[in-house]
Amino acid sequence: MTELAQNIVDGLGRGSIYALLALGIAVIFGVMHLLNFAHGELITITGYVAYAAFLRGASWFVIAPLVLGVAVVASMGIEQVAFRWVRGAPDFTLVLTSFGVHFVVEAAFLMYVSASVKNFNRPGWIADTVDAGGLSFEIFDLVVIGVTLVTLVLTSLLLQRTMFGLALRASAEDFDAARLMGVRSDRVIRGAFALSGALAGIAAIFWLMRAGQTTPGAGITPMLKGVLAALVGGLGSLRGAVIGGFALGLAEVLLRARLPDAIAGLTDGVVFLLIALLFIFRPGGFVTVSHAERV
Amino acid sequence: MADDRAGRTTAPGPAHWVSGLVPDLRRDVLFPIGGSLVSFAVLVGGGLAYVALVGGSSDRLVTAMLIDAIAVIGLQIYIGNTGVLSFGHIGFGAIAGYAFAIAAISPERKARWIPDAPFGLTDVQVSPLVAVVIAVVVALAVAVIVGIGLARSGARSGAVAASVITLALLFVTHEVAANWTDLTGGDRAPLSFAIGETLESRAPILAVLLGSLVAARLFAQSRTGRLAKAAREDNLAARAMGVDPASQQMAALLLSVVVIAIAATLRVYEIGSVTPRVFFFEYTLLTLVMLIVGGRRSIAGALVGVVVITAGRELTRRLATDGYEVAGVGLDGTPADWVFREGLPTVFLGLAMLGFMILRPNGLVDDWELDEWLHRRLTAEARPPETQPAPDAGPSRLLEADAITVDFGGFRALSAAGLRADSGEIVGLIGPNGAGKTTLVNVITGIVFATEGRVSIGSTDLTRTPTHEIARAGLVRTFQNLRLFSSLTVRQNVEVAWFTAERYRPDGLRPTVDQLVAAAGLWEQRHRRAAELDYGNSRRLELARAAAAAPTFLLLDEPTSGMSDQESLAMIEQVRTTASSVGAGVVVIDHDLGFITGISDRIYVLDRGAVIAEGSPDRVQADPAVQAAYLGSAADSIETQQPRGVES
Amino acid sequence: MLEIDGLTTRYGSISALRDASLTVGSGEVVGLIGPNGAGKTTLMGTIAGLLKPAAGSVRFEDRNVTGWAPDRMLRAGVALVPEHRRIFTDLSVVENLRLGGVTTPPRERSELLDEMVELFPSLEERWTTSAGYLSGGEAQQLAIARALMSRPRLLMMDEPSLGLAPVLVDVVFELIANLASRGRTLLVVEQNATRMLDVADRAYVLRSGEVVAEGTGDELLGQGDLFETFVGTGNG
Repeated sequence: MTELAQNIVDGLGRGSIYALLALGIAVIFGVMHLLNFAHGELITITGYVAYAAFLRGASWFVIAPLVLGVAVVASMGIEQVAFRWVRGAPDFTLVLTSFGVHFVVEAAFLMYVSASVKNFNRPGWIADTVDAGGLSFEIFDLVVIGVTLVTLVLTSLLLQRTMFGLALRASAEDFDAARLMGVRSDRVIRGAFALSGALAGIAAIFWLMRAGQTTPGAGITPMLKGVLAALVGGLGSLRGAVIGGFALGLAEVLLRARLPDAIAGLTDGVVFLLIALLFIFRPGGFVTVSHAERV
Repeated sequence: MADDRAGRTTAPGPAHWVSGLVPDLRRDVLFPIGGSLVSFAVLVGGGLAYVALVGGSSDRLVTAMLIDAIAVIGLQIYIGNTGVLSFGHIGFGAIAGYAFAIAAISPERKARWIPDAPFGLTDVQVSPLVAVVIAVVVALAVAVIVGIGLARSGARSGAVAASVITLALLFVTHEVAANWTDLTGGDRAPLSFAIGETLESRAPILAVLLGSLVAARLFAQSRTGRLAKAAREDNLAARAMGVDPASQQMAALLLSVVVIAIAATLRVYEIGSVTPRVFFFEYTLLTLVMLIVGGRRSIAGALVGVVVITAGRELTRRLATDGYEVAGVGLDGTPADWVFREGLPTVFLGLAMLGFMILRPNGLVDDWELDEWLHRRLTAEARPPETQPAPDAGPSRLLEADAITVDFGGFRALSAAGLRADSGEIVGLIGPNGAGKTTLVNVITGIVFATEGRVSIGSTDLTRTPTHEIARAGLVRTFQNLRLFSSLTVRQNVEVAWFTAERYRPDGLRPTVDQLVAAAGLWEQRHRRAAELDYGNSRRLELARAAAAAPTFLLLDEPTSGMSDQESLAMIEQVRTTASSVGAGVVVIDHDLGFITGISDRIYVLDRGAVIAEGSPDRVQADPAVQAAYLGSAADSIETQQPRGVES
Repeated sequence: MLEIDGLTTRYGSISALRDASLTVGSGEVVGLIGPNGAGKTTLMGTIAGLLKPAAGSVRFEDRNVTGWAPDRMLRAGVALVPEHRRIFTDLSVVENLRLGGVTTPPRERSELLDEMVELFPSLEERWTTSAGYLSGGEAQQLAIARALMSRPRLLMMDEPSLGLAPVLVDVVFELIANLASRGRTLLVVEQNATRMLDVADRAYVLRSGEVVAEGTGDELLGQGDLFETFVGTGNG
């Protein structure tokens, strides 16, 4: 029982980061139909920014806002350099374009930094725990969950209460109808990338705090988790992406705790397998948003 | 080329099984084999010449290139023919690579890396050739399961679910390879062959390369390959012609996995060891970029991509590591230093992918094939065939849609609507926008299932039958918004439908592909892509394609939509001759009353989901209820349910 | 106010609209009638900027606006209520309306919302409901109200009565008459020709992508063979 409660908090902490990444991916998919395999590169890029700041003696109080800002700028920059040229292209082209971005960014760090692991200090409190009612929780998990919830509430307010949020949601549902209402497609897409970058920036802060290191290929794992969570939730559904993120985090932690020791190392493999099965039986994810084909 | 077909179309003779497999011996067997030999000679000859000129490490470079070529051919067989973007084929390579290594590496060496391997695998050793067979069998077994899963998920061109499933396969294999260390040795203990036990001769690589080239081209030209490509172009239209895309996709998957599996064993054997990284993201990227850059829809493209990317990587690698100079002047210390450094080959790959996606998503050669080009050049210009007299109509059959009701989430699109048509007549179906005409046709052809009601031809009940089976039973439709297989040629479009007819309704006389093409007035354009046709010709092609499926009934959904009055009138004649040339009854939907009254023997009028009138063109036209339905009237007296506009 | 000259639009090789010309004067209600597939929706889409014309010109208030993007056309003063309404079902009724006023300054927006309540009282009851739950008639009212939120000087409607029950068709035509009486300039595509001719000052008949007749409602109805002009049996 105690173990379960701890697992759940642990899983929600992990899931928070996935949820933020997945939400950013879903926002972009909504307006552009692009499944962004380059989303993890925001974590690679901010990882090196964090490393550079760390070398100059910056503390996490400086690094964290820096990471957030860089993530927003980088996200919008990638849109300007690559994705804007393939707007409206077939899915095949869009997916491979994002893969291209992923590899160019990775290779650029390979060239200009190095292939080796770059380490920086984690915050001092990262491993601290707090005891409550006989249970012991990592403070870090609680902070992540708290900040994520605040972020999700703010994002939800942005989407519900602002004109930009309305335009974004309307564009995701029917891009042409939104344009007929006077919504400027260019601004919505740029705004979507900015929002997606901000969400990824917050995820990056926690991801980097926990990892304490970065490499040119560091973006692959978070990208994959984010993409899978977004897909599990049903692409295009923002709520589904958040649910998918938490579900993925919980599934990982609970599986790792329950799997027999001999194959505990295969947790990720089992998760991938489960996701493959999900897509075999529910190609649209949990929340199906696809519309029937018109003839 | 017209002659050798004439014999076999008349009756299912002894040549039938051959024609079932390959449509045209010269075009689809001899030329592809010849073309493959030529490509093989050019690729291998060029590679060997390069080795002879440059020497040194170029030997290994060329060997690696030839192995990559096999892998990319394997990838092309699946992605190119089905249009499904697979990230997982290198995962099949990982399975085969490990199976090969575990089977072929000597027990002494395995005792060092994987002493506790399950199933006593530590003590197994077989010859490399047997190990290859084992590797292929293991990979195929996994492929069958994955293939069933892909079919279940509704894999088709552009399907995201299919890409995710294959990506998951790649990661699952990598996780297993990295973490099931008892079996694989994982990252830290790479399974390796003893020095001197690895692949010494290039002969096996060359043999496999030639074999896979020929296999890939023969598959692409085969009936199965052509049907797969039709489904790639338009899944729904292919199903409406009687194609079940799942079986073609499975065939393409299995063949591609065999090729990839053998390529993987060669790669392991050549490198001399296997680690989880050998078959993971990097190799997936490399092979995908090769395929995309060359042109994913052709084998020639795959080879061009392999050469271009191999050369580009080698060049960038040299620039990055060996130093460089331009016109005798060294560039060390100049800004160029900033570009030419380690990692450049990976940047090159990423930029190649990005650049081609943005500027030329179909690759360098698109779908050009050497043997097709040669065949066109070396074949005497055929003359259009004589049209053959219309066959005697078979026994008359009755198409019945009885009391069809369709509810779309609370909205009743059709309420007890129905029609009957005899295989000897042309029946019109008209009604204003939103009346439910297309919904009725969708129900009859199995695209929408009715809430209530029954559809049948003769004594065969077709209610709730999948679209492709309805087509096989002889009910073939066209689409309001033209669904041609747009990157296939005119002739290939017709051919696909013709194959399904030959397979599922082999008896009886019917026109050949060439006769159908000529009869549609498309003889001159027969080698052009469907996408290049103008609108009128596109409509004619769609009709010819439907006729090629030798239907008992043709369902035409708005065949004149977008046509001028004159073109519409010309269409009357074409529908009549086409229908009579295959002895089919016709049900035609149209909004153009001039066309409908000109062509139909009988007309049904649909309004708000129900049939409001039925009879001869004259009677229907004079019916005040019909005029009211069309023009709308203040005294709208027609009592019906309230359907919402569900038509497109 | 609006002058269309020789407009031709193609989908790939399909000419859905051929050399169409028409004009709409300020304060006029102009009908565009014709059977299914005649090119009416294509014409509306081309004027609104969703489709790019292959030839011809669109002038609005003496400015050449040919090929302008939809959001630019809206800012120029032309709003379209699209076929099938296309309201945003993920948004609530009031959110749909606010989005419709994305181009109007915030202060005017709240005044306009009050105006819409007055014009469409039934919408107020559903104010915060998701628009996906509206009935067909309510959805059509919302679609029109949403378009009015941009204060368009020309309001175009594509098949506003499509798929509605007869009693709701009445509501839609009353609404058109109401807007007309307030001096709005309207260009309305309708399949329900007789009803449309009742409320329109003038109408054009479109068939097979071409304008085949033009006139006031009485003129067109008076020809007696409207049905034949309409569905083309005259040529059969």
